[in-house]
Amino acid sequence: MDTATHMLRTGRRGPLFEVQMALRDLRASVERIDLAWSLAWHDVVSRYRGSILGPLWITLSMGLMVLGIGFLWGEVFGVSIHDFMPYVALGIVFFGLVTGTINEGCETFVQASGMLSQTALPMFTFVWRTVFRNLINLAHHLVIVLAVLVFFGFWRAANYPVAALGLAFLLINVAWISMLVAIISARFRDIPQIVQSITQAAAIMTPVYWPADRISQKHRAILDLNPFYHLLEAVRAPLLGHGVAAHTYLFLAALAVVGWGMTFGIFANIRRRIVHYL
Amino acid sequence: MKAPPVSISCRDLTLRFPVYGVDAKSLKKHLAKITVGGRVARSGGATEVTALAGLNLELKAGDRLGLVGHNGSGKTTLLRALSGAYEPDEGSIEVQGHIAALLDLNLGIDPSATGMDNIRLRGRIAGLSAREVDQRLPEIAEFSGLGAFLEMPVKTYSAGMQARLAFAAATAVEADVLLMDEWIAVGDADFQKIAHKRLLKLVERAGILVLASHDVELLRLYCNKVMRLEGGVASPVTDIKRLDELLAA
Repeated sequence: MDTATHMLRTGRRGPLFEVQMALRDLRASVERIDLAWSLAWHDVVSRYRGSILGPLWITLSMGLMVLGIGFLWGEVFGVSIHDFMPYVALGIVFFGLVTGTINEGCETFVQASGMLSQTALPMFTFVWRTVFRNLINLAHHLVIVLAVLVFFGFWRAANYPVAALGLAFLLINVAWISMLVAIISARFRDIPQIVQSITQAAAIMTPVYWPADRISQKHRAILDLNPFYHLLEAVRAPLLGHGVAAHTYLFLAALAVVGWGMTFGIFANIRRRIVHYL
Repeated sequence: MKAPPVSISCRDLTLRFPVYGVDAKSLKKHLAKITVGGRVARSGGATEVTALAGLNLELKAGDRLGLVGHNGSGKTTLLRALSGAYEPDEGSIEVQGHIAALLDLNLGIDPSATGMDNIRLRGRIAGLSAREVDQRLPEIAEFSGLGAFLEMPVKTYSAGMQARLAFAAATAVEADVLLMDEWIAVGDADFQKIAHKRLLKLVERAGILVLASHDVELLRLYCNKVMRLEGGVASPVTDIKRLDELLAA
């Protein structure tokens, strides 16, 4: 009988070999990227099965939150609704993408334990699954983004290509954070709680719900050293017709290189063990 | 280019499980005397169970290998290693051919999704493309015998119906190497009959079968070779006719 597939698994053969194996996992996941997409799609569909509005609930609940916070906090900060509503809407939507992908990252491998322990599916597939699932959610939220941009007249000033570039920077960074917490959460089950506390604190420390210009120049470091601020700014500023500071791109590029280097290194080193953690 | 023939080759395969959150000192003494399970040892701060130790195995097309041994002797671990899920700590595993592991029928079954969606999902996990799944869908649906129930969530099924669905979906694969943990014919008497037939067809088509089972009669029926595992250590592969000697040893 002729065959087309070949599998070779061996013990450790030094760090370089482990990196090659990790790269092979990555390559295999890219070759079967449609599987990650199917799994993500299934997740979203199954979460809203049996509900009448279905995934539109994501949009509706998000829309209500945007309205409530936009009106109330705009009043509290004494800023006009016209400026503040789009600002908050974009902030909530894109920060939600960041925290959602990171928080759900904790479950990436734990949830997939059944599949990981009896199939040869690439581990990266499940990382992409989490990212894709959050992108599908984002697609629903974009309705709100568009509605707000059109209603308040920002849609003409918005720079969409730059915003798309910002989104790419955001995703590439959020993906490694999601994968890192996925690996650590598989081993230590306290991590999801810690991650959630951090993302919650980040939501307060980052100008999502409050205007960034309320921070005086003296305290700019609160913003400049906050990676979440840069992630958000790279997408939000161009959509509101503002420019993005060059140091934001620098910061995000450096973060991506260092972050992926670290995450991939850890993955290559303990990839064999992850399935035993579960 | 002609692809190489179906084969399985394990050389000095050793697999250790790190066990976390176990105080080895208190457990070690007890476990060392028990016949089930692998050998427990402590290395580098983590408790380790040696599930397979120095296993050598060569199988070629036509081989139907039965695995026997106590609970925890390493049968399932070996199957999982052959499926590619577990990586060896030492030695190597080489498999030529498309592998299908029928280890857990409920793999990837989502109770809140409909029967149809579950068949799709299972097919995708098994490595079929979306189009291939759609092509096989009618055949799988018919085989399951679930009819209109396929449009309902799996959680509304009885246990037997769930088993039918899982079996139909899991066996809708083409494999050169078939790995099975127990003979998985399920369901009521009628269904078991056709399930047996379907499994046999699958086995005939596959180049190699590895079946772990406690059922001696079953092994005699479907296997031509047998290997015994004891605490992760494998006996030599012997002819199925000498199964009794092997079990008595």
